[in-house]
Amino acid sequence: MPDIEPFSPRGMFHDGWTAEVNDYAIACGWALKGKQFIVGDVAGGLFAFEGDTGKIIWEKENTHSGGLLAMAIHPEGEIFATSGQDGYVQICNCHEGKVIKTLDLGKGWVEHLKWSNDGLFLAIASSKKVYVFNEIGEEKWISEDHPSTVSAITWSNKNELATACYGRVTFFDIVNNKTNQKLEWQGSLVSMELSPDGDIVACGSQDNSVHFWRRSTGMDAEMTGYPGKPSHLSFDDSGKLLATSGSERITVWSFVGNGPEGTMPGELCHHTEPISSLAFSNKGMLVASGSRDGSVVASFLKKDGNGDPVGAAFAGDLVGAISWRPDDCALAAVNAKGVVNVWEFKVRTNLFSKGFK
Amino acid sequence: MSIKDKVPVTILTGFLGSGKTTLLNRILSEEHGKRIAVIENEYGEVGIDQGLVINADEEVFEMSNGCICCTVRGDLIRVLGNLMKRRDKFDYVLVETTGLADPGPVAQTFFMDEEISSEFTLDGIVTLVDAAHIDQQLGRSDESSEQVAFADVLVLNKTDLVSDDALDTLESRLRDMNRMTRIIRAENAKVPIETVLNLSAFDLDQILKRRPTFLEPEYPFEWTGVYDLDAGKYELILEEGPDPEMSLVALVNQGESEEELKDGAESSVRLYAEKANTLEPGNTIPYGEHINLKLEDKGNKSFILNAEKPTKIGLFTQHTAEEFNMKVIKSIENKEIPFNTERFWQAEHEHDDEVGSIAIERFGDVDPEKLNTWMGRLLSEKGVDIFRTKGFISYSGNPRRIVFQGVHMLFTAQPDKEWGNESRRNQLVFIGRNLNEKEMQEGFDKCLI
Repeated sequence: MPDIEPFSPRGMFHDGWTAEVNDYAIACGWALKGKQFIVGDVAGGLFAFEGDTGKIIWEKENTHSGGLLAMAIHPEGEIFATSGQDGYVQICNCHEGKVIKTLDLGKGWVEHLKWSNDGLFLAIASSKKVYVFNEIGEEKWISEDHPSTVSAITWSNKNELATACYGRVTFFDIVNNKTNQKLEWQGSLVSMELSPDGDIVACGSQDNSVHFWRRSTGMDAEMTGYPGKPSHLSFDDSGKLLATSGSERITVWSFVGNGPEGTMPGELCHHTEPISSLAFSNKGMLVASGSRDGSVVASFLKKDGNGDPVGAAFAGDLVGAISWRPDDCALAAVNAKGVVNVWEFKVRTNLFSKGFK
Repeated sequence: MSIKDKVPVTILTGFLGSGKTTLLNRILSEEHGKRIAVIENEYGEVGIDQGLVINADEEVFEMSNGCICCTVRGDLIRVLGNLMKRRDKFDYVLVETTGLADPGPVAQTFFMDEEISSEFTLDGIVTLVDAAHIDQQLGRSDESSEQVAFADVLVLNKTDLVSDDALDTLESRLRDMNRMTRIIRAENAKVPIETVLNLSAFDLDQILKRRPTFLEPEYPFEWTGVYDLDAGKYELILEEGPDPEMSLVALVNQGESEEELKDGAESSVRLYAEKANTLEPGNTIPYGEHINLKLEDKGNKSFILNAEKPTKIGLFTQHTAEEFNMKVIKSIENKEIPFNTERFWQAEHEHDDEVGSIAIERFGDVDPEKLNTWMGRLLSEKGVDIFRTKGFISYSGNPRRIVFQGVHMLFTAQPDKEWGNESRRNQLVFIGRNLNEKEMQEGFDKCLI
């Protein structure tokens, strides 16, 4: 094994940097192609750090009165959007954090923000409505009222937006103002992820199950037996594996072959308390998980959904959010005490020195 | 996280106009050292500056399995899920529901959702009742009777608009429906804060420490009259009535306030538990004793009451005074002395409302397996109609008392203190709709060893 280089005995998590924000950190993400790391706290504080060193670049307080609820960084990484209990959405530039545009959506909490993959649209969910704006903050589309508060939104392709609420997932063509598809299920859907090709729709449900549909065939299935509700879901970039929370274990469903119907999921038992955040690496079958107990683990998975931990660290308190740097060579975790941890993530070989392939 | 670290939550229910907002404002403006977050479902007039106030639409989420106990309130899960990240900002949560809310899903949210139950604990359900209108509301809507049924505390509000008689009748109707609840009378929602917050109503261990029984007393007498008597000899005269005898307790120095009447009632309950001494007409009625008046003879029957000095005499009678046209006469002047105050008590009688309480009290031990089977079947068949359950049980072979409680089909049981020298007994209270008391008692009796 001539490829192996000596590395720190701590495993794959190497020293990076730590920093602190002012309150419970609930959102984070990488901007400017990994050169910057932005963290939002529950009180509405926003903080931008240098991606390599953790040096503070700018910070802002009280960006949303009542508190911050969501943050989304534009795929190009030059701008980002935030929303809060005040009913406002702000689009800001990453370099200085300056507000470019403020959108007033009325009284309700604005809980979800998602940029389309090409970055042309920003989808916003507030109470029972979903709005789509363009990059410069012009309104492009508004949904009718959903039957209940919208609990998740995600883009299935560049013009198609999926929304989840109590009882159904709906696909909207936002350019032609059409409803493309409705998937119904009597249950409160609390989370939603789509496979990268947009065919598989996975939703965590309040009744402690994961429900999923294949859009191409209309087939659906329900995965039950979770001790808690699966609030966190993540697909790997190939769409073969779906990692789900819902207990202290990570349950991984494999869509290889005829699965996951009738198969046993992979189970990763690394944490002592329920999973509070979950993210696959941008490339490869590497999943990072954070727990209420403050532990962060990265696991390398096989096609059947089972796998082994390849590194772990302690983040100090409940992990509020977790994020891979775009090159997968660093992993960030923010916690309930406002502590930011960024670890360099290194691999063992010379051949694949930039994350897993 | 232990229960002490969890944030207590009080649910405030009641029909529109019952005074919820007034009570809420009162709680928020009073100096109690608590930082209270309020989740409002009705747009009320709560001053925003008084605390953290969040408006949310009621969203009742039923699950695909159709199980009523899985039904939760999505809006609360969302709002509380966010609030728990701001724990430095508050240490108490009040949830004000709309007048039409079913309290079941609200309560179940605190048991069914793991994220919520790990951070919050349901402290109690407080229902406000508009004394002037509740009679009509109970007839018209299921929601109002369910709100009464779920209550740990019932605030009988706007008592100034209703006569004392009507209040007594109303209180006994409400008590019939929910025998576990504590009833507090109030004008303009003016109640001591400690009667509605920090009740630990779902912490049975605590409750039983404060109150050794879940049941509010059901009185063995229907009526009390308080007579203001000078020193002298008096006669108690009864005409022919519905019964050839009647039990009675006479107390001296009986006060007339609600509290004093209740104190008197408590003493009388204890005296009533003793064997009665029978009195023939013409005999003198002793004070502080359980006696039984013989009333078989035709015509008026007269018994002697002696007042050695001026005093207020309380008569706690098995039947109402009206039923025997009972009178107190001052012997020398042959003058009737009317009562100063009268009070009617809840006694065993027909239950008119669909919603009611069933209490089972039995001495002895139960077989845990039999009880489990019976309870499991009862809750699966009748869980929709059973709103609240509380009780304690004596399991054979277990040195500790088992306390349990439920909301619909959700059910928890846990060991409590050791029995020690106390005689082992069981007490179960069910509050629900159209429950068959006899059937349930027989079912339970089969579990006894």
